[in-house]
Amino acid sequence: MNSVSQHNDYAFDADLEAMVEQFFAEKSDADVVAKAEVEGLPTGLWDAAVELGLPLVGLPESAGGSGGSLLDAVTVQRAAARHAAPLPLAETYLAGRLAVAAGLPVPAGIATTAPGSHRDTATFDVTVSGTLYDVPWAGAAAVVAVILGDRVVILNVADAEVGDGTDLAGQPRQSLTFTGAPAVIGENPVDVRLLSRLGAFLRSVQMAAAMEAVSTLTQRYVSERVQFGRPVAQFQAVQQHIVTLAQMASMSTLAVDRTAIALNTREAEFEVLATKLVVSQNALLSVRAAHQAHGAIGMTQEYRLQQLTRRLHAWRCEFGDEIALAVQLGRGVSASPSLPRLLTDPHPTLELTS
Amino acid sequence: MRFDATELTAEELDLQAEVREYLDKRLTPGSYPLGLGMSGAVDPEFSRDIGSRGWLGMSLPQKYGGGGRSAVDRLVVVEELLARGAPVGYHWIGDRQSGPSIAANGTEEQKQHFLPGIARGEFSFSIGMSEPDSGSDLASLRTRAERVDGGWKVNGTKIWTTGAFHATHILALLRTSADKHSGLTQLIIDRHSEGLTVSPIPFIDGSEDFCEVSFQDVFVPDSRRLGDVGAGWGQNTGELALERGGVDRWMSLMPVLEHWAAHQAADGGPAALADLGSITARCWAFRGMSLSIARMVDAGRSPVTEAALIKEMATRFEQDCVAVVSRHLGRAPDLASEDPYESLLARAVLVAPSWSIRGGTNEILRTVIVKGLNR
Ligand SMILES: Cc1cc2nc3c(=O)[nH]c(=O)nc-3n(C[C@H](O)[C@H](O)[C@H](O)COP(=O)(O)OP(=O)(O)OC[C@H]3O[C@@H](n4cnc5c(N)ncnc54)[C@H](O)[C@@H]3O)c2cc1C
Repeated sequence: MNSVSQHNDYAFDADLEAMVEQFFAEKSDADVVAKAEVEGLPTGLWDAAVELGLPLVGLPESAGGSGGSLLDAVTVQRAAARHAAPLPLAETYLAGRLAVAAGLPVPAGIATTAPGSHRDTATFDVTVSGTLYDVPWAGAAAVVAVILGDRVVILNVADAEVGDGTDLAGQPRQSLTFTGAPAVIGENPVDVRLLSRLGAFLRSVQMAAAMEAVSTLTQRYVSERVQFGRPVAQFQAVQQHIVTLAQMASMSTLAVDRTAIALNTREAEFEVLATKLVVSQNALLSVRAAHQAHGAIGMTQEYRLQQLTRRLHAWRCEFGDEIALAVQLGRGVSASPSLPRLLTDPHPTLELTS
Repeated sequence: MRFDATELTAEELDLQAEVREYLDKRLTPGSYPLGLGMSGAVDPEFSRDIGSRGWLGMSLPQKYGGGGRSAVDRLVVVEELLARGAPVGYHWIGDRQSGPSIAANGTEEQKQHFLPGIARGEFSFSIGMSEPDSGSDLASLRTRAERVDGGWKVNGTKIWTTGAFHATHILALLRTSADKHSGLTQLIIDRHSEGLTVSPIPFIDGSEDFCEVSFQDVFVPDSRRLGDVGAGWGQNTGELALERGGVDRWMSLMPVLEHWAAHQAADGGPAALADLGSITARCWAFRGMSLSIARMVDAGRSPVTEAALIKEMATRFEQDCVAVVSRHLGRAPDLASEDPYESLLARAVLVAPSWSIRGGTNEILRTVIVKGLNR
């Protein structure tokens, strides 16, 4: 459960949190996740989420969303990630946000976005041609939203040739190749960094939540696993892993919360970059500590841990890898007058070049 | 383990601006010796100056000369001081720890006597816990305080007592009975008491802040006993959230980091910029955690586990920063360098390993954290 102190005007909704937590806890167990890796999107689960309006929480009702704030969207994504829900929730939400920013209605059905691989070749004139790479859930989506130039462009996946592939967590991640495909083009120009900013933020939300789950799971396991006549949790060296997991999870979640609140009122580019960087680095340390503390069982497919840790690996590298983010942030910091002033500023701003 | 997100309020930002304006004038670059965080230089005049502005003893009750302000207000002031490597050595321990402890546990007379002096920056405190045979395991302390007429007679040796040489007082944890935990009592001891000898223990970087304190039949009046006989152990754990969760646990290198960021990192190409970006992001994350802890304290909570959790990783992070900045220098920094930032970095290289020892070792903190998580 999440609470935000009175020193902020925004708060997370505890009722929504309880509702979505229960929903995913019941409906996204290890078997469901494992099955999705083989069979693709679990349509029953997706339909149940749609029935509750979950994919479009945080998008305005006037544009076809479910209503609610960005913080509500965070609450939904967080609960889904804690249970490794094999659903394109973040992608559908992101595509919706792009559409809204461009003055378009929120697309109906499953939507996704192209994270912007340097290999992408898609261009648009009146129609769109070229390939978008590494598109999560591309094959399951009805539409894909991308930013080309300063316009949001929405394409029907049915017009594309869909490649093969999955991410490290076994979730679909495919290329889409278009040849003269018709596109819906947003009226309003948008900030070209909108997609990378929101994408980086959402992946941070998901990673922080997965780290919480990994931390809880590991703490429980080591208190049950007995070696040398006592629970391994009683060994100091094992306790160190528990500490690392709690540190990485709590630090990541706090960074995400602060950034979510900042994003309510401004672009919060500094916070988004700092959060994605910290959270990605923490994710790697969490993965190592959790597997070490689990021993062999954690490496097996039958056990839940790997569903979470493989997602952490996949998300770390999306919407900005660690080096790219760090260089970008570092360049901005080196051009700013004072590092400590930046850190203590409630609205830190940087000259960022993409 | 959950930290609430929080930012500074408008009033807190006003305080920040006020402190900045003052310190920009009071501490012009080059006019003071740069320090590594809480181990900043000892400068009683500077301590009195900021005391007179109300920036010491900020959370002590107004009735006793304190500011009656919040832990967050104190954090706002402290982070400005640490960012500049200010000479905080004289007042640091009294302001952070001994003052709040006396406010919480002291008699009316003690509060009237000690707190105004702490808030004015006149008193300098040292912590007398460690002994030659007793570090992590404080329950094994042996330095004794025995009942005598009107007070106590203290015998034994304390060690690693930071700042004892210039201190006006030592708040010591002493054995008053054989009982492991409940046989410990705190006394506030005048540093110039008869029979009390302070000998500096030269530190790894050549500084002499680290001391041995020996007591030979030192008389301490009973009016200087802090709290009940046998209450010392519990009082100590109460101090820990203040001692461990603060910005001082990750800001030691800040003057060097600031200088490196503004003047050197860009010349180091993408590798240096990437390191700067990573360091900045983590500083920002730690700052959020320290601020969150201060809010918990203001809300009347005692975030001992949270504070330990931060300190354990923040002190490792500080050490990493030293390694990163040194690596980009391309050679071992010179203690005698004319560039004050290089010589400060050189000192940091030498003393950084102590950051994860002082205030409770990381190994001990991990045990504290695990106990807290299991609760
Ligand atoms: C710069 C600095 C300033 C200091 N200032 C003060 C001061 O002002 N006043 C004061 O009283 N003290 C001060 N100290 C002392 C400090 O509190 C102790 O050094 C610290 O508590 C550790 O005790 P020790 O050095 O005796 O190490 P030990 O307790 O002997 O520990 C040695 C090693 O064993 C490990 N260890 C010990 N017990 C356990 C356990 N149960 N589980 C796992 N590992 C364990 C420790 O982590 C460490 O790695 C200062 C220390 C430093 C470095």
